[in-house]
Amino acid sequence: MCRGLFRLALITLVALAPIAGWAALVTLDLQPGLTARADYLPGAKNKPAVLILHGFLQTHNFHTVRNLAEGLASAGYSVLTPTLTLGVTHRGQSLACEAIHTHTHEGNAREIDAWLAWLQQHGHHRIVLVGHSMGSAELLLYLAARKPKSAVQFIALSLVETRADIDAESLERLRRRTQQKLARGERDVVRHPLSYCRNFSAVPKTFASYLSISPDRLLAAMRHLPTPATFIMGGSDERLGAGWIERLKRTGNKVIVIPNASHFLDGEHEFELIDTVLAVIKSAS
Amino acid sequence: MRELKLQHLYALFLLLSLGLLAGLAGYAHHNLELVTRQARADEDHAAREEMKLAVQMLDQRLQEIIQRIAAWDETRQHLLDPEYYPLWRDVRVRDTGALPATMRIALYRRDGRIVAPDPDAALPANLAMPETGGMSLRWEAAQPWLYVRFPILLHPDAEVVLGHGLIKLQPLAEIRTLGAYRYADIDNLQLSQPNGTMHHIADLIEHLQVRTQPNPVLTSALEEVSRLTIFAVVLALALALLLFYALRRLLVLPIRQLSKEINALREKAEAQSPAALNTRHHLWELKQLQEAIGDYHRRLLRLHREVEHSSRQFYRQARQDALTGAYNRRAFDEDRVRLERDKRVDECTLILFDCDHFKAINDTYGHPTGDTVIRALAGCLTRALRADDRLYRLGGDEFATLMPDCNIDTAMAVAERCLEQVHRHDFGQYGITEPVTISIGLAHGSAPLDLSVQHKQADLAMYTAKRPGHPKLAVYEDSLGSLSSLVDNREVSAVYEAIRQPDLLEFRYQHIVRFPDLRPEYAEALCRIRYDGQIIGPGAIFAIVQNRRLDVEFDLAVISAIRRDLEADLPALRQGVSINLSAPGVVNDKVIQSLLDLKAAHPERKIVVEITETALITQMTVATANIERLRRAGCLMALDDFGSGYSSLRYLASMPVDMVKFDMSLVRLLEQEDLRQRLVVEDIAQMVATAGYDLVAEGIETETLLARVVDVGFSHGQGFHLDRLLEH
Repeated sequence: MCRGLFRLALITLVALAPIAGWAALVTLDLQPGLTARADYLPGAKNKPAVLILHGFLQTHNFHTVRNLAEGLASAGYSVLTPTLTLGVTHRGQSLACEAIHTHTHEGNAREIDAWLAWLQQHGHHRIVLVGHSMGSAELLLYLAARKPKSAVQFIALSLVETRADIDAESLERLRRRTQQKLARGERDVVRHPLSYCRNFSAVPKTFASYLSISPDRLLAAMRHLPTPATFIMGGSDERLGAGWIERLKRTGNKVIVIPNASHFLDGEHEFELIDTVLAVIKSAS
Repeated sequence: MRELKLQHLYALFLLLSLGLLAGLAGYAHHNLELVTRQARADEDHAAREEMKLAVQMLDQRLQEIIQRIAAWDETRQHLLDPEYYPLWRDVRVRDTGALPATMRIALYRRDGRIVAPDPDAALPANLAMPETGGMSLRWEAAQPWLYVRFPILLHPDAEVVLGHGLIKLQPLAEIRTLGAYRYADIDNLQLSQPNGTMHHIADLIEHLQVRTQPNPVLTSALEEVSRLTIFAVVLALALALLLFYALRRLLVLPIRQLSKEINALREKAEAQSPAALNTRHHLWELKQLQEAIGDYHRRLLRLHREVEHSSRQFYRQARQDALTGAYNRRAFDEDRVRLERDKRVDECTLILFDCDHFKAINDTYGHPTGDTVIRALAGCLTRALRADDRLYRLGGDEFATLMPDCNIDTAMAVAERCLEQVHRHDFGQYGITEPVTISIGLAHGSAPLDLSVQHKQADLAMYTAKRPGHPKLAVYEDSLGSLSSLVDNREVSAVYEAIRQPDLLEFRYQHIVRFPDLRPEYAEALCRIRYDGQIIGPGAIFAIVQNRRLDVEFDLAVISAIRRDLEADLPALRQGVSINLSAPGVVNDKVIQSLLDLKAAHPERKIVVEITETALITQMTVATANIERLRRAGCLMALDDFGSGYSSLRYLASMPVDMVKFDMSLVRLLEQEDLRQRLVVEDIAQMVATAGYDLVAEGIETETLLARVVDVGFSHGQGFHLDRLLEH
């Protein structure tokens, strides 16, 4: 009964959120000539802030991120949804696969770190990190590597293996060739499949950075997480490799599968996602 | 007004029609020109509007491109990091469709320097900063190029300018690719704008030189209209010529032919028949007209024949005697004049016929019988005349005929044949017991003819023939000149004057003596007229009186003159006077009354009234009654000239007369050697004497005859011989 009333109130807040204009666009100068942008939804001080990171080449305006942010904000949480610059200052648009990519996974980690610092500067010392798709992988690797103290919980939505849509042999061969180009200092833009991109145009540095993220690395990172981690997966996520959810479950982390939900956990599963995330956050606090 | 020929009228109509057609064609062409001009103006306007729309579309497209590129994250990425700028400029911009292949783009830093040099220097390395306008036009290689500069902001919501973009394009080529143009001739689109900056791309419109592409529909329509116009004109001309030919063939020529035929009919109306209208017409109306004219002509001919027949009838009736069928007096006069004028006629004989005693017959048996006698006479004469001879009834019982180129012998033979015909005819069938005879007078003349004179001469001859004792056929001779009184105006005037003034009458009184003692008992008044110092004898007088039917008037004049002499107590009239009374006078009351008055005035004197047997035949009843009246008054009645006519003894027996005067022709027979004639006269005289009449012998001119008369038994006598005896 109480769960039902809460859902009704949440729906109402989500519906009124755009009208209320809660979201505030905030920028963060990462380096000269490179400024990142994010939406900040301030919430209750007694609740942890939530940082939601978008997927590969997307922005914080991606609907799964946006809807979830608004849902959490409506529940009283302060929510920050940054957009990774991917080397483009004030980036506000999704980058095409065919665009000339010069960004790296490491650069993305630095931006995540900067945004956590921004949250701390704005009084949020307890931060729940929520990532979607490749954003989950970015946060997972970041948490495992940096182990920030402000992070109190990690929720990975639709975590992907970050594999290219090529066979393992080709992938390995590509990884080696990219490393060679990188070793030779080549900066030519090349095109290869990466993640869901069939023609990902990028410099060798970029390719090498993202190709370094493998399922095994992710699974390994999970063992070094400083915070509780929950994996919420779509029951009908076609972007995942076979047995990936099972492998996640075997890590001992909490894995929640929303039945029939796609990779984007949207549509009719949107509210279930919000409920699930809220439930996860509450359970941790 | 001069009459118009049909073909001229048609030519005028044709010219007017062609003029009207030309006018209409001109009007239509003018209107078509206006419509075409308006359509072309509309198309020009539409072409301009198309160009305006195209420029607006180009502007909109350019704005969309600029907005997209300016707001594109990758634009900022490569503006700030020029390492992969050429790849973005040459590949990304094209692959993403952010910029059409026909355009070129370059990014410039905030200070105006190009991010990376353009490979073929198509775009400038530096932007002229600041520029007054956002775009400029430059002519390069004879082609207009449009440079459009736009700012690249830090982000869409910021006003911080990171740099600039410059797009180079060929506006005309871009306009051509914007779509299909209905009106503008896009292939010949020209731009007249010089190099310079522009505030707005719409400024191009003013400098665009756009032609209107030919409107195939309009051009086709105009060509079709022209073709139709030419076809219509040619068709109209052909139809006009065809109509002209048809009009001439079907109408004009047939009408002319019809006119000729009508003229031919008119000129030869009598000779031509309606069959002359035999031209075959193809027009129903003309055929009807032809038939109507033919019918009209037939009717006209029939009417003409009827009129001609009527005219001939009228002519014939006007010249024909209704009673006898002979020609009348008018025909006689016309033929007489015609013959006189006919130079070919060398001679002509005129014959007059007259019925003897016709008036007595008419009065005795009535007019119907008289008419029958006249018709019978005409028939007899017609049968007796030659085939070509015309019989004219001049009036009453008088007939005539003209015999041109006929000598007197032939004419006499014909006349004798006429006498014979009349003589043979049985008039008893009409109830007439007395013989009907005719007297014939002939007059022959040679060219130059004067038939009026011949007519008078024939009249004299006929009068001669009528005289007692003369043959019934007489030919005029100069010896008959004494009878010329009939035609002598002076003597005719004398007669008329004597009637008016009886004092002009003089009498020679011849004694009637009694035998055998030769004692004069009374005197017969023998009349003459003294006129203009000359004496006109009884021969001329009575010819005129009888000819002019003046018997009664002359009788009255004579009685008046005798009364004058009686009152004068002339010695010859001491015993009495004998007066010759005409036949009409016997039945005339005035005459009878005058005689009664004369007797009443001289009761002591013997008044003897001499009448002829003709007088008794004429109106026997009236005559008898009048005679009785005279006898009762004391007058004596004497039958004069007995024996000179047909001397019917039946009449003599019934005549209420006191004495009978034997005509001298009969008395003189007593002197003839022929015994039989003497005996006949003697027996008649004795028979009359035995009947109780006094016998008077006329014309006793010799002693021998006097002795014979006395021997025969005549009681009285008269004559020159007796007058001489009495004088001695």
